[in-house]
Amino acid sequence: MSENKSNIKKVKNKYAKSGPLLLIAAPGILYLIINNYIPMFGIFLAFKNFSYKKGIWKSPWNGFQNFKFLFQTKDAIIMTRNTILYNLAFIVIGTVFAITIAIFLNALGDSIRTKFFQSALLLPNLMSWVIIAYMVYAFLNSDSGFINNTIMKALGKEDIAWYMERGYWPFILTIVYLWKNAGYMSIIYLAAIAGIDKSVYEAASLDGATKLQQIFRVTLPLLKPTVIIMTLMAVGRIFFSDFGLFYQVPMNSGALYATTQTIDTYVYRGLMELNDVGMSAAAGLFQSLLGFIIVVSANAFVRKVDNDNALF
Amino acid sequence: MFKKAISTILAAAMTFSLVACGSSDGGAQSAGSDNDTKTEAAATADGDYDQITYAFVTFNTVPDDTSDVEEALNEITREKIGVEVHLMPLSIADYTQQVSLAVQNGEIDIFHTLGDLGNSIASDMCYDITDMMDTDAKETKELFEEEWLKTTMQDGRLYAIPTLKPFALQPMLLYRKDIAEELGLNMDTVKTAKDLTDIFAQVKEAHPEMTPLAPVSQGDSGLTRWIPNIDWLGDSFASPTGVLQGEDMTVTSYYDLTDFEDYANLVRDWYSNDYIMKDAATTTSAAAELMSSGNYFAYSASYSYPLEDTAASLSAPSGYELGAIALGDAYLDTSSINAVAQVIASTSENPDAALKFLNLTYTDADVINTMLYGIEGRDYTKNEDGTVSYPEGQDAATVPYTAQLSCGVLGNFFIQWPLEGSGSEESLKWEDEQNHNAPSSPAMGFTFDASGVQTQYTAVSNVIQQYLPGIACGSVETESALAEFRQALKDAGYDDILAEKQKQLDAWVAAQ
Amino acid sequence: MENTLKMGTANIVSAVHVSSDAKKFKAISTIVLGILAILALLPIILIVVASFTDETTLLRNGYAFIPEKWSTDAYVYMLQQGSTIFRAYGISVLVTIVGTLISVLITTMIAYPMSRKNFKYRNVLAFFVFFTMLFNGGVVPSYMMWTQIFDIKNSIWALILPNYLCGAFNIFLVRNYYANSIPDALIESAQIDGASELTIFFKIIFPLAVPTVATISLFTALTYWNDWVNALYYIQKPQYYGIQNLLIRIMNNIQYLKSGAASVAVGTGAISLPSNAVRMSMAVIGILPIVVIYPFVQKYFVKGVVVGAVKG
Repeated sequence: MSENKSNIKKVKNKYAKSGPLLLIAAPGILYLIINNYIPMFGIFLAFKNFSYKKGIWKSPWNGFQNFKFLFQTKDAIIMTRNTILYNLAFIVIGTVFAITIAIFLNALGDSIRTKFFQSALLLPNLMSWVIIAYMVYAFLNSDSGFINNTIMKALGKEDIAWYMERGYWPFILTIVYLWKNAGYMSIIYLAAIAGIDKSVYEAASLDGATKLQQIFRVTLPLLKPTVIIMTLMAVGRIFFSDFGLFYQVPMNSGALYATTQTIDTYVYRGLMELNDVGMSAAAGLFQSLLGFIIVVSANAFVRKVDNDNALF
Repeated sequence: MFKKAISTILAAAMTFSLVACGSSDGGAQSAGSDNDTKTEAAATADGDYDQITYAFVTFNTVPDDTSDVEEALNEITREKIGVEVHLMPLSIADYTQQVSLAVQNGEIDIFHTLGDLGNSIASDMCYDITDMMDTDAKETKELFEEEWLKTTMQDGRLYAIPTLKPFALQPMLLYRKDIAEELGLNMDTVKTAKDLTDIFAQVKEAHPEMTPLAPVSQGDSGLTRWIPNIDWLGDSFASPTGVLQGEDMTVTSYYDLTDFEDYANLVRDWYSNDYIMKDAATTTSAAAELMSSGNYFAYSASYSYPLEDTAASLSAPSGYELGAIALGDAYLDTSSINAVAQVIASTSENPDAALKFLNLTYTDADVINTMLYGIEGRDYTKNEDGTVSYPEGQDAATVPYTAQLSCGVLGNFFIQWPLEGSGSEESLKWEDEQNHNAPSSPAMGFTFDASGVQTQYTAVSNVIQQYLPGIACGSVETESALAEFRQALKDAGYDDILAEKQKQLDAWVAAQ
Repeated sequence: MENTLKMGTANIVSAVHVSSDAKKFKAISTIVLGILAILALLPIILIVVASFTDETTLLRNGYAFIPEKWSTDAYVYMLQQGSTIFRAYGISVLVTIVGTLISVLITTMIAYPMSRKNFKYRNVLAFFVFFTMLFNGGVVPSYMMWTQIFDIKNSIWALILPNYLCGAFNIFLVRNYYANSIPDALIESAQIDGASELTIFFKIIFPLAVPTVATISLFTALTYWNDWVNALYYIQKPQYYGIQNLLIRIMNNIQYLKSGAASVAVGTGAISLPSNAVRMSMAVIGILPIVVIYPFVQKYFVKGVVVGAVKG
């Protein structure tokens, strides 16, 4: 009896005992320290003129020299704009698609149909970008491509040189992105929906709510935390882009740079000849820092509005 | 970086291993190594030999186990130079990445460059071997013309030894013999690419379903090979390019050359007439693949072998019997020599031992051929004519060890045993003569250090990749695209690179 | 009729109404997902067909759903690689299983304290984790540490330990799930019963988190299955190649052989080397196991957990 009482007291304390909880977290913390934090001394490389002979510590400093190349080009604005806009589009459209798929899948329950649909939607995520690039090329190439050969002909339209027309690519890239990722992302929301207490739905249906009303009044509000977390994480990486999507899929076609160049592809193309360790470290650090600033602000905002769902 | 490695090696590959591995009795260059090399038995006790590791690229299956081959090599090296060697054959997919990590970790002693010597020197990957050459690699030094070794020097210090192989690349047109005969085309009248328009027109007329010209690879119609007497001064057509043309020592922009504009117009003309593949700037297929589809008549690339040999050896992968004609002459510049060069890692603990071993790969036929072919009886059999075959019922994919496809990457090509059915004495002689007699650039030996203009380099690289493939394949309106291209180059800081290059070149000339 | 019954049996009516509504919704779900599944599968079918297409046909006519000429050359070529492929499959399976098990364990453990609203350091820990998502020291320092301190080069551990054991993305997914789907009351009542934090985690939290554990297991397994980067850095011995590494190497060698540079060396064997078809067959070989296994894993996502039942 008295033991119970003291336990109640402990729980009533504002904080739980930290020791046992930290112990549970310990393996993860240890791993992150080893795998992520210790190697972070590599960030210094961004400020060094790296010499293999001298190693990371003894290589000479060169200030911000390694960052200069990011601003050398007139296209700095274009590539930054592309990176951000694509990411925003992917976050918004991707989330809508993923949630829609998850809700539909959930409605079908555990059936063979579900298995088939979900497997089908997940499969594209297993393809490497190189293969996807070949596939897109199979559809779009101007001589023997599926679209020009079959669809455009059937519609009686002129052939389009897809790899020369930059205007189409924001759509093409978004479609390819969705094709590859929507099924994968939907799994996250599917798990979140599965975690919703079934009695909430029972109560709602007893109150006469239609399926549609249940989605908008129960499911979506309960998915909000997941959406917030996913968005915050994506926002942190808003200056990064999926290299394969923007480099391989457009077949590195120069005519498309205005709509396909992102910071990552620029860095890659620029350093292909130089292969400079310091400069690529600088580019990565620059992208991380900008993303960091944005995500910390976004998180502060979320914390103000909805403290429980903030990232940290 | 992988794609870069692949394209580099593919470019480099064109220059070697076409005719497999040299001739039986060592050709003109082998310096009777066995007699010259001192027997330098290690004075120390058994097992106390210097240990070195040699990383190289293999296009064959990476062998599971190299210890038997190492033992066979060590039997020679222990006695001769008191060194034990470990082989580290790496697949091309991993090579660049693993070598750079291993160098900075001090894991390897020898590796070779793949067209990136300048960067390797600039980032301190290479050991300065200038003062060791006379003691550790005297015989090797004698194999080289003085000018050739300058290509691997910077500021008078030697950082690498070029792989000794046929250097002189000649631009050629490889075409389908059956079509040429069927239409009675007189290919001998073709002296430059400009003469091809006529030929292509006839092919197109007779076979409207065919496209006369296929690209060598994505974005490469062959155009950049046709302009004669170009010294790239350490760059390539795809990297920031200030070049010399002929004897004039003024660094010029490659893309401002009248020749460049002429050929660009020519290809554009072909494009408008459907003489060149429409997707040349973006295709994923290489020339041989395209040829084998039967839809193409010819492609243009550069090779360092006699015309007939080249045509004969390329016929198989193309699926048709090919003929070859020259579209210009071979021309030697620094990069044709130093594209693939052997380097001692700057972090090596046994640079002397490493160099001594490298020396053997240039001078000792047993050493280099064991590295390439493995163990006699198990991995290969030696034929009476001095060629090599795989043991009965075996091939390159099934023997425990072979690095045969690396023959143009390692050591001395001219002392390597040829695979049965490839390479002839005459070809080898011709190649050797080409090496020594082909016209060469007045700036032969000049290397460019880009570290002062790295910032501009990255921006210019981007611009070139954006515009060049379209222009080179004719898929954009030449006049407007060229104007745009040149302006974009200027904006990216191209002139700084040219000025820097001129400055370094002037200093180099003054020092000669 | 509905009108007359409305008063007395409101509940029954709405239940009937809801169930027909649910049926309608199921039908719509089936249609929409069916269309999406077909769209997702079409390109993959194209790849499978391409892998069975004769190489010359592929080059001449481009990719087609019904090729002029079929061929199994690509698979014959792959089979010639024989035992190497099976060995690589073995390595991949082993690495995927071991990696996923360890990863899921430490990921769910570190996520748990972060989900506890009364854990003093929850935000500090969250920030500690999130930071690793944005900043990294690059390849060079990681390589130095893993090879010099842990000496994992050319061992199976090189494929398991670096990079993937404890990803920030997964940690946040799990934390988010714990925080939103597991009621605080549950933990409190366990504490009152005198359960230790460790017991609470393993006996209550972990079993309740099935959907999210399934999610991150799948994500982690896919990561390990598709990974070729660890081997690129740490593996030189073919004995430790996983299936993805093997495929990449075969592809590059073919690309080289196809370039014509090595023609004499390989002799006539080069004629029928089916490079495009082989690329496609590799994609098929790479995803095959997932296609086979996935339907069995899949049920955990839609089933959900009856949290309410445990609550009492």
